[in-house]
Amino acid sequence: MSERIVISPTSRQEGHAELVMEVDDEGIVTKGRYFSITPVRGLEKIVTGKAPETAPVMVQRICGVCPIPHTLASVEAMDDSLDIEVPKAGRLLRELTLMAHDINSHAIHHFLIAADFVPENLMATAINSVSEIRKNAQYVVDMVAGEGIHPSDVRIGGMADNISELARKKLYTRLKQLKPKVDQHVELMIGLIADKDLPKGLGVHGQPTLASAKIYGDRTQFDLDRFTEVMPESWYDDADIAKRACSTIPLYDGVNVEVGPRARASVFGGFKDTGVVAQHVARAYEMKTALSRAIAILDELDTSAPTLADFDVTGTNKLGIGAIEGPRGLDVHMAQVANGKTQFYSALVPTTWNIPTMGPATEGFHHEFGPHVIRAYDPCLSCATHVMVVDDEDSSVIKNEIIRI
Amino acid sequence: MVLGTYKEIVSARATDKQIQKVSQDGGIVTGLLAFALEEKIIEGAVVAGPGKELWKPEPMVAMTADEIIAAAGTKYTFSPNVMMLKKAVRQYGIEKLGTVAIPCQTMGIRKMQSYPFGVRFLADKIKLLIGIYCMENFPFASLETFVSEKMGISTDLVEKMDIGKGKLWVYTQDDVLSIPLKETHGYEQSGCNVCLDYVAELGDVSTGSVGSPDGWSTVITRTDGGDTIFKQAIDAGIFETKDMADVKPGLGLLEKLSAQKKEKNQKTIDKRKEMGLPVPF
Repeated sequence: MSERIVISPTSRQEGHAELVMEVDDEGIVTKGRYFSITPVRGLEKIVTGKAPETAPVMVQRICGVCPIPHTLASVEAMDDSLDIEVPKAGRLLRELTLMAHDINSHAIHHFLIAADFVPENLMATAINSVSEIRKNAQYVVDMVAGEGIHPSDVRIGGMADNISELARKKLYTRLKQLKPKVDQHVELMIGLIADKDLPKGLGVHGQPTLASAKIYGDRTQFDLDRFTEVMPESWYDDADIAKRACSTIPLYDGVNVEVGPRARASVFGGFKDTGVVAQHVARAYEMKTALSRAIAILDELDTSAPTLADFDVTGTNKLGIGAIEGPRGLDVHMAQVANGKTQFYSALVPTTWNIPTMGPATEGFHHEFGPHVIRAYDPCLSCATHVMVVDDEDSSVIKNEIIRI
Repeated sequence: MVLGTYKEIVSARATDKQIQKVSQDGGIVTGLLAFALEEKIIEGAVVAGPGKELWKPEPMVAMTADEIIAAAGTKYTFSPNVMMLKKAVRQYGIEKLGTVAIPCQTMGIRKMQSYPFGVRFLADKIKLLIGIYCMENFPFASLETFVSEKMGISTDLVEKMDIGKGKLWVYTQDDVLSIPLKETHGYEQSGCNVCLDYVAELGDVSTGSVGSPDGWSTVITRTDGGDTIFKQAIDAGIFETKDMADVKPGLGLLEKLSAQKKEKNQKTIDKRKEMGLPVPF
């Protein structure tokens, strides 16, 4: 006899989502569905019709977990729409901001999964390690981008300012000192995840991976023609779930995909492993990659070079694409500017890609492992929400259409 | 207290001939910031640096003594130094910061330290706040009016401006011009008329020419930090000092002017309150 296990909301993640698993007599998941139930805010609508500079400032507030990728994807989309060539130092500083943010964000995820993997006697060690890494990573974002959470100095055309030679040296020294700490942390987490002895094959699915670059992101590697978007109605084979799901289903080459650290490692790093453990391992190693790149940027940066291009905001209505490899995967923002105003804005965010893949990834194992599968994606729902108009009284759907976040 | 809370008041001037040459009066701000920088008490300072237009300063992050000396001298229009503090501790990477501010800016900085909205991690990095005495401040257009309309010369020719003995003085290469201060009334920024602070009562150290002889400044040390740095600078021979009791015109004048500002502007405040208009206090 089949039974239905519902976890709502799923915990230790950002935003609100629901995991619905149909299980057999043994408790094995036969059908998994995961969907966002985070309410819509309408940010894509808010920025439309306003000056292009408004967009990065507004959309970074989509979420406090990955404001940096949203800001970067937004300015990159605007740069592309306005045909701006960002100076080299500006590009390096943007990349440095993202590298530091990646380290910070992955460290936060280790805090979120600590209860799953870290034994009590090591809990304080692991959490202190997370805090120490975050403190240093956020210091970099503060210095380079103005603010650690919602950076004020990432601008269309580059960055507001270069950093001083004093700042460059300080950051370089700090990050060099952080390296053994991060190495140790990565070792600790990978060891503890292996010790957990999760069932072999947990979270393995047959869907392809999607990534635009190993680090930072590359708009030329995202082909808009291969992208389609369907409504939850035509995706979930359960009328009730389809009605309540708040995210659209993005497809690449007509199928759902996986994005994130494991996807990047598999596309660009020859990483073959799949499933929950592989996702955690790829994420942990990415902290080392990001730190090495951050140190290399600080080594290379010319602190006297210009960081901001001159540009004209009039625009030609060209569809600009910003593709950023955020901690949770590919974050694509699209913008069109004409007559000095944003005419169209759309954000295609990391967790949205993963949502249709995450549910089925729970299948074939006991439902108790369901939350493990979900957390391995480090889902962040607030940016994923894209849908629908509901009745204030009884929350029923009154109009079914894509609403821009 | 008419001069605010303080530890000590002395008359002082910088001993360095180069500073004496470029400074407004005793070279206290220049000397003290340069000393703090060289002693690594601060890593940099936000000062009123030279702007694109002569006599229109722009805030600048000085990280060497030379840059501080280049910013020496009073400019009688505002330099929004407060705006630059955040950038100094962010992109400039300064963790121990000094700055110079007029009383209203000093109040703003102290308030910002108490309520750091939008300026996280800045409050504890301000290590030396030097306040300068200020009766009122003029928009740049007002200064242009004084010099080019009332005195009839181009602002480009001006080498130094000064206020003292009831007049606004302008020095050129070969001339000294002046207009009575009462001719400047009405040209100040309107906020100055509701300000009760003449001697930068919230600074770590406050300074200005009033009370001391020409070429000297009256220095008020107010906080432990400010007092310590100023004493260290004296011990290092950066400043020579005189007892206030021994100098003319003396502390009486400073107290008189401070009391006058408070009294006059309190009347404006009371009047605004009567009319139901907002006041900043």
